[in-house]
Amino acid sequence: MSHFDSTRRRFLGTAAAGGTILVAPAYLRRAHAQGGGEVNIWTYNDFVPEDFKREFESDTGIKVNIRLVDDQGKQFNLLSAEQPEPTVDIMTVAGHRFLQFIDNELLAPLDTDRLKNWGRINPTFSESDWATINGHKWGAPILSGMEVLAYNTELVSAEEARSWDVLFSDKYEGRTAYIIQDMMSIVMLKMGYDGNMIAYLDDPEKAAAIVEEAKNFLIDRKHLVRKYYDGGAEFQQMMVNQDIALGHAWNGPAAALINDGFPLEITIPQEGSYGFVYTYNITRNAPNEDNAYRFLDAILAAPEIGAAMTRASGFISTYKDVDPLLSELERKSTSFSDEELAGLQFFRAEANDLKYGLVDPAVEAIKAA
Amino acid sequence: MVESDQRPFWGRLSGWGPYRSSMRLLSAGPRRQFLVLVTLPVLWVLTQHLGPMVQMASVSLTDAYPVAPGTETHWTFEHYLKFFTDRIFWMPFFRTLIFASVFTFVTLILTYPVAYYLARHVSPKNRMLLLLLLLIPFWVGEIVRTYAIMILLGNTGALNLLLQSIGLIERPIPFMYTSFSMGVGIVYLTALYMLLPLYSALEKLPRSLNEAGADLGAGAWTRFRRITLPLTLEGITSGCILVFLISTGFYATPVLLGGPSTTVFAQTIAGFFHVAGNEWPTGAAFATIMFLAALIVTGVFQKLMNGLRRGDVR
Amino acid sequence: MNRGNRVLLSCVYWAFVLYVFVPLLLMILMGFKDSKFIGFPIRSWTLEWYQGVFADTEVISTFGYSMAIAALSTLVSVLVGTWIAVLLEGRRFRGRTILFGLTILPALIPGIISAIAFRIYARGLGIEPGMGAIVWAHAVHNVPFVVLVVMARLSTLPKSQVEAARDLGADPLISFLRITLPYLIPSILGATVFCLLLSFDDFIRSYFLGGYEPTLPVLIFAKLRSGMSPEINAIATVALVLTAVIGIWAERFTRRQARESDA
Repeated sequence: MSHFDSTRRRFLGTAAAGGTILVAPAYLRRAHAQGGGEVNIWTYNDFVPEDFKREFESDTGIKVNIRLVDDQGKQFNLLSAEQPEPTVDIMTVAGHRFLQFIDNELLAPLDTDRLKNWGRINPTFSESDWATINGHKWGAPILSGMEVLAYNTELVSAEEARSWDVLFSDKYEGRTAYIIQDMMSIVMLKMGYDGNMIAYLDDPEKAAAIVEEAKNFLIDRKHLVRKYYDGGAEFQQMMVNQDIALGHAWNGPAAALINDGFPLEITIPQEGSYGFVYTYNITRNAPNEDNAYRFLDAILAAPEIGAAMTRASGFISTYKDVDPLLSELERKSTSFSDEELAGLQFFRAEANDLKYGLVDPAVEAIKAA
Repeated sequence: MVESDQRPFWGRLSGWGPYRSSMRLLSAGPRRQFLVLVTLPVLWVLTQHLGPMVQMASVSLTDAYPVAPGTETHWTFEHYLKFFTDRIFWMPFFRTLIFASVFTFVTLILTYPVAYYLARHVSPKNRMLLLLLLLIPFWVGEIVRTYAIMILLGNTGALNLLLQSIGLIERPIPFMYTSFSMGVGIVYLTALYMLLPLYSALEKLPRSLNEAGADLGAGAWTRFRRITLPLTLEGITSGCILVFLISTGFYATPVLLGGPSTTVFAQTIAGFFHVAGNEWPTGAAFATIMFLAALIVTGVFQKLMNGLRRGDVR
Repeated sequence: MNRGNRVLLSCVYWAFVLYVFVPLLLMILMGFKDSKFIGFPIRSWTLEWYQGVFADTEVISTFGYSMAIAALSTLVSVLVGTWIAVLLEGRRFRGRTILFGLTILPALIPGIISAIAFRIYARGLGIEPGMGAIVWAHAVHNVPFVVLVVMARLSTLPKSQVEAARDLGADPLISFLRITLPYLIPSILGATVFCLLLSFDDFIRSYFLGGYEPTLPVLIFAKLRSGMSPEINAIATVALVLTAVIGIWAERFTRRQARESDA
């Protein structure tokens, strides 16, 4: 019996020691946080360059806690579940999702006077009409994304890729993929309607009819698609595995493929497309508001930081003067011709309730068809 | 069998004053014994299991959640009605139940021979090791494993490359993004949960029964059907229930491996929490409906199996 | 069982092993690919990903964090689950079915609902997001599995054994500890393994109830947004090797200890 006990004790001892060693770095880091204060950030992978984070921490003594999120919905869910005492200071909301957060009083208006580097952001983004709501700014734009047509250059020609219709051609049956929700907006645009639905705010019947038309368009062509996907990683894997030859994607994941040497091209077809902008926002009742503003100011300070963000994520930087800092391949994967850009509009938030109230059920219907 | 120094311990314990008096207190009569036994489980179950669900149910009955400040909320059944009135939700719902049942059955067929082999034809010394061998791959996270399956089944995946290199096919077979690939993924994830109960049920089956059957002239298949199978029914039942429950809850694997026609209900529910628009109550209502359904199916299955068992064992 | 059947059976076993290991081998292989993405063909190889994992203290400490959570939550769920199983099995009392249903409840709720419900409930109880909250959520979620497994085993315990012990003068606690519990050990061990796996692998609850410290699945999922890379495969492989080592060491340990106590 005593012998049994001693071996058990040895087991527990070794296990405890091993466990402590493994978990130790985590506790050490937390102790360090007591120093110059901290700032809590929710953002996407690669949106805060490692080098910048280290420099900021050693320059200011403020500990940067980053929590990686992977979509807008989760940030909203998490933050809502935390009210009225959020644990986060800075979030990464896409511009066209502002209203959902603002209506639920989750964000604080951005005081641009406290950001001396506000002027380093390209006014196309910082002074864009979607960026000002109720007379306030709600976030600092950092990266811009867009819905693009991405195709394997060994299988599809540039000529074919000039129109979104190529996604629905019989030639590529079973070799295409797209995100249904985004595709609804694009199809509506392709049909000549306003995909943001702002033009139909006063005419809900017309809005419903348009959504119905787009929905039926996609249902009729459901047999042509290989997969409805949600995440960029899925798209990338499908391309690498050659399960698809072309598809609708966000420019970020597509650019990452290009930068890796994959034979991919991205384009904004002639019918046009939509873009969105990621911003850094200050939460309402943020626990470390001052540190949050210091962090924001610091991350906007130099175009090199913007270039690093683009390099890592594949999205286009909103900072001025970033282009010269990119490599040949990086520039290729993040630039579009003037002709293409002319067809690009930003997603707008004003009619979101109307739009998503109609589009979400349509998406379900398409999936269930 | 009892170790020489163990008996004095238990003997000492049962003779020890404080122990005896507290035992007398606790086990005074069957009523009190039962009370002692039942208190912790009931407390636990009410606060930990029921609590969050009551919370969720109350969310499913409000008209809006999260509550935008300055607005009032009302009780309503509209989210439940949405399920019953809108047919587009029925497909994923029934599809989930059917898929879960089919995959449970497939997993059972697949893992029963494996459990049998482990329990009967491997020496006790090696049994643990071989079982551990099978356990190890399940320590890899679901997401990474799922992507590994993509690498296996994709158009330029391992399987297609293999088939092409030995000349069986010319062009790659699109395995991915079908019910097949989804099935491969789900069975892969649930095989373990079926294997362990089956293994433990088979392991404790006395060999003598089979030998007796053989002596009486029964063939291998008859012995299996009339002796082994009925006696392992308990293990089969708990394995199937486990796997069925888990299968209905899968989200990531069907999303990643499935195709346009394999939408499962968990995706529908998650959709209410993911996309623009505050649809938490509907998501909560749908989740309530789904687990009530899973509960009913499991209950029916359990009753069926109990009936089978009682019928067979004299 | 004749020779032919035995060979067939062993073929099935090894085919199953193959099925289970091939994706694993692919995962390990891809960790060596010199690219940002995984997939065939592999044109060039590199060790940088695997080297990076060991140099990255964040990955190692995340792994330890996940393991600690798994161990703690398993402890709780096995204790509670065994207790409940002992209560429910073989007894008839009013409300037994309801209690059983409530016990199984957490396993039926889809992950995301459960996670959000727990997050809100936690706030109501004043539990801060972080390790404690995750351990709690995992423990509660895993109890149904423990109960099912232990009940299955318990139902086969011949009642006569316990009755005999009672006749010989043992009180309920002692007869439980010396007869029932040893009989249940295999199922408790199996339940422990289940729970460790479920906890270690869990993403959705860890995500909603965790603080700034990610568990391994949360870390991987977040990195996934930049694409499934060889780096992630390398991390998963290293995590796998570490858990396999721990598992084998634990098995060796129990075997040695069993041998010693038999001596």
